[in-house]
Amino acid sequence: MIEVIQLTKRYRTHRAVEGLSFRVNPGEVYALLGPNGAGKTTTLRVLATLVKPTAGTARVAGFDVGEAPLAVRQRLGLVNGGMRVYDRLTGREVLAFFAGFYGLQGQAFRQALDWVTGLLQMEEALDKKVMEMSTGMRQKVVIARAILHRPPVLLLDEATAGLDIFARRALLDFVKAYRDLGNTLVYSTHVMTEAEEVADRVGFLHQGRLVYEGTKTEALALGQGSLERAFIQAVKEAA
Amino acid sequence: MKGIYRILWKELVQVFRDRKLVFSTLVLPVFLMPVFMFGPSLLLNRLMQGAAEKRQEVAVAGLPEEALSALRQANLAPVAVEDPEGAVREGKYPAGVLYQEGVYRVYARLSGGLTEGQVVAGRVQSALQALKEAKVAEVLARRGMPVEVLQPFRVEVQNASPERERAGGLLGFLLPFFLVVFVLSGGQVVAVDATAGEKEKGTLEALLMAPVPLWQIALGKTLATVVMALLSGVAGLLGLALGGALAARYGGGILTETGQVLDLGGRVVLDGASFVALFLSASLLALFMGAVMVGLGLYARSYKEAQSYLAPLQLVALLPLLFLQFRGFLELETWHHLLPLFNVALLMDALLKGTATPAQAALAWGSTLVYAALALGFSVRVFAREEVVFRN
Repeated sequence: MIEVIQLTKRYRTHRAVEGLSFRVNPGEVYALLGPNGAGKTTTLRVLATLVKPTAGTARVAGFDVGEAPLAVRQRLGLVNGGMRVYDRLTGREVLAFFAGFYGLQGQAFRQALDWVTGLLQMEEALDKKVMEMSTGMRQKVVIARAILHRPPVLLLDEATAGLDIFARRALLDFVKAYRDLGNTLVYSTHVMTEAEEVADRVGFLHQGRLVYEGTKTEALALGQGSLERAFIQAVKEAA
Repeated sequence: MKGIYRILWKELVQVFRDRKLVFSTLVLPVFLMPVFMFGPSLLLNRLMQGAAEKRQEVAVAGLPEEALSALRQANLAPVAVEDPEGAVREGKYPAGVLYQEGVYRVYARLSGGLTEGQVVAGRVQSALQALKEAKVAEVLARRGMPVEVLQPFRVEVQNASPERERAGGLLGFLLPFFLVVFVLSGGQVVAVDATAGEKEKGTLEALLMAPVPLWQIALGKTLATVVMALLSGVAGLLGLALGGALAARYGGGILTETGQVLDLGGRVVLDGASFVALFLSASLLALFMGAVMVGLGLYARSYKEAQSYLAPLQLVALLPLLFLQFRGFLELETWHHLLPLFNVALLMDALLKGTATPAQAALAWGSTLVYAALALGFSVRVFAREEVVFRN
């Protein structure tokens, strides 16, 4: 579960996020939607304990991001569109490297590897060096790295950026499958059609503020069947 | 603590799978060092020997027969010309001699580095000097005086350095110098790749997501830098040793700008304890500089920016070593052994000469360890600064 409480993040004079509050329940995909610069990445980085909030707080899987960052990271996975893995290692070596930080070694690692390769259908990626992989296959390794320890919370930030149609489809299917395992997901994107497919609830972020929150059905009703129109309507009403 | 080992392993695998990088950092120095250090002197020796043995033509004017004869005896071929200076200036002859009003003027093109003219001028000068001494001896003999009257006593300067110091020779300065150069250049490869390189390639965020404290990440990367720095240092020293062996076999040394060939001393005798102390000194130096490089590398947005920070660092690090040349003029005081980098260079120099004391070693190691800890603290602080980590 994720709880964000009056979260504010400022970079010098720039207010990236201001007074943001929302909650995501287990078994739910929460789509955080907004244009570039809306504050989506900053929000997810705070949740991932990579940046510290200026004010407010957030709790991930029961742990405060400021007080227990290592405990949060143990229970969290993060995938973003710009994330890469080590190009001179094979897929298996990359996963073994990261698995070790979660105590997954020997038999435990092999079991985790079997599970993740089955889920993402990435057997052929295991013994190839990352530099020799296609973009889609690399992204599968990035996702596998993030979920190998089966985190109950998964954050995806513009995760389909740069992916071809097949890889994008595989990722969207994966998001739904991982949600169905009872996990908590935040899916951040500016591509509204992706959110229409995977989201259970949506939050519209504009200039660092949450201007709308509701179920996908409610948001689609607001936008007459389109999340894009709903977003524009919500921004106008908030102005 | 396993996190440190994992990161160290990952960094080293990444580096060692880059064949070009391994070749340029670890293999090339072994072969380039002998070429750079001893190649020029070996080549010069051959050229000088050739110039000395060859029957050279010398432009002459106004020389008496006895001088011409002296030149011929010195395997030179005097050729009469009107203007020896002009002939030499035009490059027609390597040297020339003009005799006028009791003065022999020897001409050669002496500027612009070592030339064949300098060698021939030297031979002319030696031949005329021998002629002069023979004439003086003849005059003295006619007057019934022994030739020894010209040399009532002799002055001899003897090298009183201890045997190990004498054996170390110039290596006492060169070894620390090259060790620092190679430690810095080898460490830089990993430091940049593990920091700015990770940022640029987009892999850093995934690593920072791992449940491992920042200090372990910083230390893992620093230790990888240390390993590569030491390997690079060993490669450089192997190159130096290979060059020394070649120089000992074929003759050679370090060539100076005046064309002198400096004897390197040729052998470095180290007992086991001194060898361990030398290795420990190099390791602590690598730890210190590695932590600095990791911190600076992470501060940079990109490879290019990191290299622009680390290039001046190399110059700054080498500056204290240049002062090592003047150690003979210094009366060493305690604080000298606390100066970063200079203290390690002084200790290495002393270890090679067999003059190091336990107190000196303790001061140098202790202070370098403190500097390394401070530098590591700096790296961790840089890792903790989100505006630095995410500013690319």
